Amino acid sequence: MKTFFLSLSALVLALANPVAATAAEVTLLNVSYDPTRELYQDYNAAFAKYWLAKTGDKVTVKASHGGSGKQGRAIIDGLEADVATLALAYDIDAIHEKARLIPKDWQKRLPNNSSPYTSTIVFLVRKGNPKGIKDWDDLVKPGVSVITPNPKTSGGARWNYLAAWAYAQRHNGNDEAKTKQFLSKLFKNVPVLDSGARGSTTTFVERGIGDVAISWENEAFLALKELGPDKFELVVPSISILAEPPVTVIDKVVDKRKTRAVATAYLEYLYSEEGQELAAKNYYRPRLEAVAKKYEKQFPKVNLVNIDDEFGGWQKAQKTHFADGGTFDEIYQK
Amino acid sequence: MNFKKPTTFKKSAISALIAPLLISGGFLALSSNVYANDSEELEKLRALVQELDQKVRVLDRKGEIAAEEAAAKKKETPVLVAGDKGFALKSADGNFEYALKGLFQLDYRDFQDDGITNTNQAEGFTARRIRPTFQGTLFGKYDFRFTPEFGEAVNRAQDNGNSSRVIDAYVDARFQPYFKVRAGKFKPYVGLERLQGGGDIKFIERSYVSNNILPNRDLGVAVYGDVLDSKLTYALGATNGVADGSEGTTLLDTNDDKDYAARIFATPFKGSDSVLEGLGIGIAATYGDSKGVASTGLAGGYKTPGVAATNFFTLNAAVVGDGQRTRWTPQAYYYNGPFGLITEYAKVSNDVRRGANRGEFESDAWQVAGSWLLTGETASFKGVKPKNAFETGKDGWGAWELVARYQQQEIDSEAFAGTGATQFASRTTSAKSAKTWGGGINWYLNQWVKVAVNYEQTSFENGGGGTALNPKDRDDEKVLLSRLQFQF
Repeated sequence: MKTFFLSLSALVLALANPVAATAAEVTLLNVSYDPTRELYQDYNAAFAKYWLAKTGDKVTVKASHGGSGKQGRAIIDGLEADVATLALAYDIDAIHEKARLIPKDWQKRLPNNSSPYTSTIVFLVRKGNPKGIKDWDDLVKPGVSVITPNPKTSGGARWNYLAAWAYAQRHNGNDEAKTKQFLSKLFKNVPVLDSGARGSTTTFVERGIGDVAISWENEAFLALKELGPDKFELVVPSISILAEPPVTVIDKVVDKRKTRAVATAYLEYLYSEEGQELAAKNYYRPRLEAVAKKYEKQFPKVNLVNIDDEFGGWQKAQKTHFADGGTFDEIYQK
Repeated sequence: MNFKKPTTFKKSAISALIAPLLISGGFLALSSNVYANDSEELEKLRALVQELDQKVRVLDRKGEIAAEEAAAKKKETPVLVAGDKGFALKSADGNFEYALKGLFQLDYRDFQDDGITNTNQAEGFTARRIRPTFQGTLFGKYDFRFTPEFGEAVNRAQDNGNSSRVIDAYVDARFQPYFKVRAGKFKPYVGLERLQGGGDIKFIERSYVSNNILPNRDLGVAVYGDVLDSKLTYALGATNGVADGSEGTTLLDTNDDKDYAARIFATPFKGSDSVLEGLGIGIAATYGDSKGVASTGLAGGYKTPGVAATNFFTLNAAVVGDGQRTRWTPQAYYYNGPFGLITEYAKVSNDVRRGANRGEFESDAWQVAGSWLLTGETASFKGVKPKNAFETGKDGWGAWELVARYQQQEIDSEAFAGTGATQFASRTTSAKSAKTWGGGINWYLNQWVKVAVNYEQTSFENGGGGTALNPKDRDDEKVLLSRLQFQF
């Protein structure tokens, strides 16, 4: 009798896990934020080629894109992502806090706090810069229409908000009340709140709405590349923020799907010379010094603040500004 | 990325609407002061139009975003279904579902006794099945089913009727199509007709094969699945073990040994154009050790087609299991257009003893049942969905089906060998065989409501009546069964 049940249990376990670790064909799901579509389209192809040459295994990487916050919540709600490549660390922290799918110290597992590339926030204006926009204080002037997504759902929007906050603090002697007034005026000039950065780009570029879009640097460059400098111009503000989009494997998923090795290699390859080249080509600032030097002229020099020094890290920034009852709720009038 | 070119004043449909405003505005301006070709005025108008254009574009974009958000929300919103398959609440991704189903059968049994003084042939109404079912799916691969039974008990003689109980309570884990696991109380994968739903069977009562030999429901676990493009199904199970034709309880087993069941069933022409497309053929068997099991756990009683209060065969109460019990059953069905045929054979062999009298108790049964849908529907193993439902004042008459069946059961002579003090069964209370022919008509008013009438006539041979000194055959049973069924 015992033998029967032991055999049955062994059969259950063996057949319930049909994806063997030695599978020659593997599929990964990369759940990412909005503007990384082009980067990961290129990178997924490069990694598949690399992995095939290295191991003989065929890997197909599927990608899902959307507002960073929404994407993080989707993983928490059960979307089986092998890797998450989101806009900010807070959205990945939430995957640990709310679903325990990854360890608390996930950010220590890869170099540079698990951020293989960086970016920043710039302005995209229409050709000729008809409203004469040069810096953040131009965005609060009456009659200037500003496009930025919703910080409640978009990681890029939160970087935008914090960059504006940092500017306002410096220009108002760290007077928080005045800073809030500044942000309030800015958001009064926002006619449409998209849920993600790509939606905002669509609003500004394709729908022709607004005088200026507060944008990821890579997204702004891409719009210039696609539509040409005869349509838009890039304006670098006097101060911006160092955006460090992080990456992680989702431990519970890769262990369940037996994809840890390939998922880890997928993220590690982002730090390789080829990975860094692809990041730079897609207008993300590379970490690798050699590649950064090669693309030095591509990226304007910007005076950058960082999230830890300026805002005490993402946990604090989220709680202060974007959680329910935070400063964004205070200043934003629907 | 492929950004679309930004829309311009000239190209924008919105701007096209605004253009007349500009022209009329300009016209008015000109008409009000025809000599004032004032560029400042034109600039103001241009600015006004641009402002209006932006406002319209913003409204348009907000509409777009609202539509996108509504579409996204729709994908996440649970779906409430109230339709021809009952009630269900489903998650938007289909991974979770909770459904309520039901089966109600009101029967009337009329024994044509022709003056026979057989008091057990009680006539009248009976609620044969009252089964609300709560079933569903969790995480896309775990199914559950919970069905209590409030209708007539399986056998009035055993259960004194109206034994409300849980008839099905199990969980299915669908790991792969070829590997699924079921655990709980369920129909063991053995009998073909037994695996047909209680609302889908062609006759009002199942045959001797299902009712008297093969297990009805039991408590345990089974591994099953479909292979070869779903043309072959297999099942292996381990359960507590039940008496012939009986339903297990939810209680702990009465002995340490379990019953093991195995079944394979092939539909080799499934999906082809062959006339054999509707052919299914298989074989199943059970094996267990019944040592020490009381007679009610062996063959508690073999029912008559009319489910008379007294069974036509009963083991002596002093008989107990004494060793292995095996059952095997070849089975087949065939469906072609309106025609349907189901046939199966089953045999049980059980080592038993009564005191010092040891022996093998054997019984076998078989049935052949045919059906013909008169109204052009296609027959299948599952229920019938009328082409034209019956509705008063309209043309449809539902689906009409004729059914006919022959069945018989035979008990081995060894059961009656010996004296009254040692034999396994008495000829005065048990017949050696029962042979039944039956026919009937089913009227499916729609896919939820069915009316059925069956007539079944059974002759019992070699016992079942008389006295010890003068045993005789049990009187023939002639029964008219009728049923009104609601199923959703």
